[in-house]
Amino acid sequence: MRRYVRESSLGLFFLVIFFAALVAQALVGHSDFNDQQIAHNDPTVSLGRFLTSSVFLVDVMENWQSEYLQFTLFILATIWLVQRGSTESKPLGKEGLESDEEQKVGEHAEPDSPKWAKAGGWRLAIYSHSLLVVMTIIWLGSWFAQLVTGRVVYNAEQFDHHEAAASLWQYAGTSEFWNRTLQNWQSEFLAVASMVVFSIWLRQRGSPESKPVGEPHESTGAEG
Amino acid sequence: MFRVLIAIAAAAALVGCGTSDDRAEARGVVERFYDAVRHEDGDAACALLSDAARKAVESQSGEACAAAITRLDYAGGAIARAQVFVTSARVDLGGGESAYLDRGADGWRISAVGCKAQEGLSSEVPMDCEAEA
Repeated sequence: MRRYVRESSLGLFFLVIFFAALVAQALVGHSDFNDQQIAHNDPTVSLGRFLTSSVFLVDVMENWQSEYLQFTLFILATIWLVQRGSTESKPLGKEGLESDEEQKVGEHAEPDSPKWAKAGGWRLAIYSHSLLVVMTIIWLGSWFAQLVTGRVVYNAEQFDHHEAAASLWQYAGTSEFWNRTLQNWQSEFLAVASMVVFSIWLRQRGSPESKPVGEPHESTGAEG
Repeated sequence: MFRVLIAIAAAAALVGCGTSDDRAEARGVVERFYDAVRHEDGDAACALLSDAARKAVESQSGEACAAAITRLDYAGGAIARAQVFVTSARVDLGGGESAYLDRGADGWRISAVGCKAQEGLSSEVPMDCEAEA
């Protein structure tokens, strides 16, 4: 058990702080929502009601969708695009899907390669893109959930202002939906750009996200 | 991965759950309100208004809610549709009029009634209401 925890400490650490942050978001979000309700002479809600409401869910979904879009685009872009000197890039000249030998598939698979990497055929085809496909599905799913829940919150405000409700299609065209979407996208894209560029010249000893401290700036794809 | 997708789908579905009761309750409140107005029962009509709406009626008319509420200009009509989003609802009547409601500790109460779209203006402009909080 102790060995499992030590060997899985990275994943476990981020899962734990994710849950802690989600709980904290729920509590402060509930408090903030009720403050606004009072300010508008509207009724307050219980924590239980808040957690199953679109008000909370849209704030969770709009952030999830942008994170999974970030990974989807990053995985996709790094197949063909490179950045000289960055740890986030493949070495120059390796652009593309690479050879079967480099990817250890088919006849080049090793005894302990994943089953579907050795299988060939449609299983290999699916497995070869499974990471990108899963990230894309989660991105699109959470973006759709943002659309559905965001429309509910938007329409509650519309009614507060004695205006008409918007259909799902109408809401997808509103500046409110795109404002929520784009404010998240810009920060995700900036984060990736920062990591790609900073890793050329800056170092953090011990992290695989950085080149070794003494590694030259020109060296691409090396990990510390 | 599948658990994440199920969680997302459940979250999206939850959004619609529980509001059919809310819609029925909101319709009921509006039906009882117009019934009270037709029977000139100002007390019953005012009891279905939110506190803020009741105070607004009294402040605008300068008299007690029960006296003023039945004399406002209503188009009325059969209930055509009820929509609920979070703690806000809107009930549309056949005569082109609408009522807005809020859900509080005592259930749904009318926050604006006798609301009509302002002629010649875009649908994005708020409705003009006979009584509103």
